[in-house]
Amino acid sequence: MDIDFSEEQQMIVDMTRGMLNEHSSIDVVREMEDDPKGYPDALWKQMSELGLNGLLIPESYGGGGQTLLEAALVYEELGRALASTPHFVSCVIGAGLLLEAGSDAQREEWLGTIASGDAILTLAWLEPDRGYSQVGVAMQAKSDGDGVVLSGVKRHVHFASSADRMIVLARGDAGVDLYLVDPNSDGVKLTHQLSQGSDCQYRVDFNEVRVPSSARIGAAGSGWTSFDKIMHDGIILLAAQAIGGADRTLLETVAYAKERVQFDKPLGAFQALAHYMADASTAIEGGRVLVHEAAWNRAQGRSISRLAPMAKLFCCEAYRETTRACAQIWGGVAFTIEYDCQLFFRRAKQLQLSWWDTPYLEERVAADVLDG
Amino acid sequence: MDFDFSPEEQKFAEEVEQWLVDNHDPVVMDPTRENFTQLADTPERRAFMKKLAKKGWLGMSWPKEYGGQGIEGVYEFILNEALARHAAPQIGKGVGIIGKTLIRHGSEKLKKEFLPKILAAEVEFAVGYSEPQAGSDAANMQLKADKVDGGWNLNGQKMWTTSAHFADWYWVGARTDPDKAKHDGLSLFLIPMDHEGLEVQSLPTIGKDTTNQVFFKDVFVPDDYLVGTRGRGFQYIAEALDLERFTLFTLSPISERSRVLIDWVKTARRDDKPLREDPNVRRLIAHIATDTALARCLSTRFLCAAKAVNGKPPSVESSQYKLFTTTLSQRVCKDALDITGAAGQMREGQDDAPLAGRFEGAYRATMNETVGGGSSEIQKNIIARRHLGLPKNF
Ligand SMILES: Cc1cc2nc3c(=O)[nH]c(=O)nc-3n(C[C@H](O)[C@H](O)[C@H](O)COP(=O)(O)OP(=O)(O)OC[C@H]3O[C@@H](n4cnc5c(N)ncnc54)[C@H](O)[C@@H]3O)c2cc1C
Ligand SMILES: Cc1cc2nc3c(=O)[nH]c(=O)nc-3n(C[C@H](O)[C@H](O)[C@H](O)COP(=O)(O)OP(=O)(O)OC[C@H]3O[C@@H](n4cnc5c(N)ncnc54)[C@H](O)[C@@H]3O)c2cc1C
Repeated sequence: MDIDFSEEQQMIVDMTRGMLNEHSSIDVVREMEDDPKGYPDALWKQMSELGLNGLLIPESYGGGGQTLLEAALVYEELGRALASTPHFVSCVIGAGLLLEAGSDAQREEWLGTIASGDAILTLAWLEPDRGYSQVGVAMQAKSDGDGVVLSGVKRHVHFASSADRMIVLARGDAGVDLYLVDPNSDGVKLTHQLSQGSDCQYRVDFNEVRVPSSARIGAAGSGWTSFDKIMHDGIILLAAQAIGGADRTLLETVAYAKERVQFDKPLGAFQALAHYMADASTAIEGGRVLVHEAAWNRAQGRSISRLAPMAKLFCCEAYRETTRACAQIWGGVAFTIEYDCQLFFRRAKQLQLSWWDTPYLEERVAADVLDG
Repeated sequence: MDFDFSPEEQKFAEEVEQWLVDNHDPVVMDPTRENFTQLADTPERRAFMKKLAKKGWLGMSWPKEYGGQGIEGVYEFILNEALARHAAPQIGKGVGIIGKTLIRHGSEKLKKEFLPKILAAEVEFAVGYSEPQAGSDAANMQLKADKVDGGWNLNGQKMWTTSAHFADWYWVGARTDPDKAKHDGLSLFLIPMDHEGLEVQSLPTIGKDTTNQVFFKDVFVPDDYLVGTRGRGFQYIAEALDLERFTLFTLSPISERSRVLIDWVKTARRDDKPLREDPNVRRLIAHIATDTALARCLSTRFLCAAKAVNGKPPSVESSQYKLFTTTLSQRVCKDALDITGAAGQMREGQDDAPLAGRFEGAYRATMNETVGGGSSEIQKNIIARRHLGLPKNF
């Protein structure tokens, strides 16, 4: 038993952190808020050059061939920096789905360019007034000759304006299918939408959008199984991201609590506040180990059907609760745009609501524990 | 990174498990004793500890020169968790607190006298730190130890001494130097429990166990039975407390409790419907399972930190573990009673008690976990100061 990083892993952490300090400072993060493109080119270029975009892609496709564990270490840093990048939708979900179910031709066409950052994929999944489960996918893919026709609305499509392809979840004759769709296709309309975390999201209207059958990823009806599997990988990384954000919020708050004086004492000398911080640090330390355990199990080829949802459930709540308590410690200034606390406070809740929310994760854990 | 036990550790875990199955004894292994302090308080339980001793499983992490095996503490962790899982007595105070303190700080005489007995499970100890005015504020102990010819004369009172009603020896903190600062005036003594002038009065608790208050009237302790250096008692205690937090607050009872509850929910019914289909029950179970996984993570973290610093107890990790785990332990019992509903109030032994009344009993017994061995608030103070470096104003 050993939960330390290897030297090589530590190098990945240091390299990522150094790069983010330079290219994803808080000023940069603020510039990207509500931006219709949503990510800085310099950051994206740097991530590609350092091999971070191809981290999970096999070497044969020009990637780094690393495991989810290394990716989790990177995601903690991305979360710490509040880095705004399409990495998750493109390099994790997009590349993951192609690796899981894509044809040789699809992999050849996309994986190398995803790794180099030249191509960006995104995901068109959620629909208005529908949930996270398979039932939530209502958009029909109507067979029409040698292709299908898609009509309907998708929401929370991240970085859609920069995407070369969207992976669209739609219901075909055999069940849920995944299609690679060019956002420039006839009948696709993008509408920029503002979110709590000021990240880059689009509503995408599909009005009789035709795609060829060759755009389908995997066998007919297999889409949900592939998607569900890749989501389990994805939420481990998002849990790591949450821990990064929570950890930074706590450390900055601790520093503030040592400096700011009220009633002739530094705030940190008030036990009521110190105990909030002690609780937060306990949750963060435990959550971090849970993330690593989940990622490590995945890297060992073991089941993560329980650990992955647990990790996101716990870590997102820890992030939310940490940012809430920390905002309280900053006092009035936490409520102002000028101070950074609000950046983390808003993103924490958004992350908890996104990509499988609390009730959905609770149900996943309960199903694994009770119905197995 | 590696979350598995090494092959040798795994082999040991399997050996222990098999031995506990082979040596199952319902009188010794009593799963309804939910208290973390699984004690060797009956003749049967003491006999069981002797069997463990014969296996060479007591004091494995002690240096070889003192009869240990000089192996890593992780083996004691594995053993202790297995004992707790089987509801058997734990290796506890003698090995973890008294033995280790004697090895580090005790005289040759005390080592010779006590270490072999501890390894052979021939001696049970009670630990006397707390007093009516010195609970969390352990440095405030007032039990008086006056210097007299050839030894010390002790007068005063201890409070909350678990085990005093059956132990052989008393490990006691007393004030030897009243003129020095609080922390520097305390020393540790070893006293036979049947010593003239010691009076043990039991205090019934809302759990199954009793604890005791102990009165001292002119209790004479020879110089030889002062442990280590005069005036260093508090430092020894603080060091041992970091150890105690982990050895006494094992994870297995919580994991076991979660497992038992989940198994029950899988088959129970209410209003002709499977209980596990109730969305509220599913929510509670999801959080119990998740937080139990987290408690395990904090214990893993402690274990790895302990390995890294070579046996020195990592106090922050142990405080975080204790804080989270004892709170969870109470919550699991509370949630279990909520899930069982009105019937949950029935006590053990009542025909209608769901889960044989186990959670009703545990609900009461676990109330002391967030107080005993250093309260949650004290753990938070430790984390805030030592880990986060916050000002020392509390
Ligand atoms: C939207 C908004 C509108 C406002 N409008 C007005 C207004 O119209 N007029 C006006 O005068 N003020 C106004 N305020 C100021 C408000 O009263 C202060 O923000 C509040 O009193 C807290 O002070 P602070 O922000 O300086 O935080 P601090 O006093 O620095 O407190 C920071 C943290 O430390 C804690 N803390 C401080 N002292 C102690 C202690 N002794 N023990 C334990 N914990 C302690 C606090 O609870 C808080 O969690 C406004 C604030 C906001 C956010
Ligand atoms: C069943 C049981 C068995 C025990 N066994 C033993 C034993 O074998 N040997 C032994 O020596 N002791 C034993 N204890 C004593 C135990 O260690 C003390 O109960 C514990 O340390 C708390 O002390 P107290 O009860 O005096 O509470 P107090 O110290 O009076 O605390 C009361 C409350 O005030 C809070 N508080 C106190 N100081 C602070 C602070 N600085 N900041 C914030 N909050 C604070 C506490 O957290 C608690 O919530 C046992 C206790 C119990 C209940």
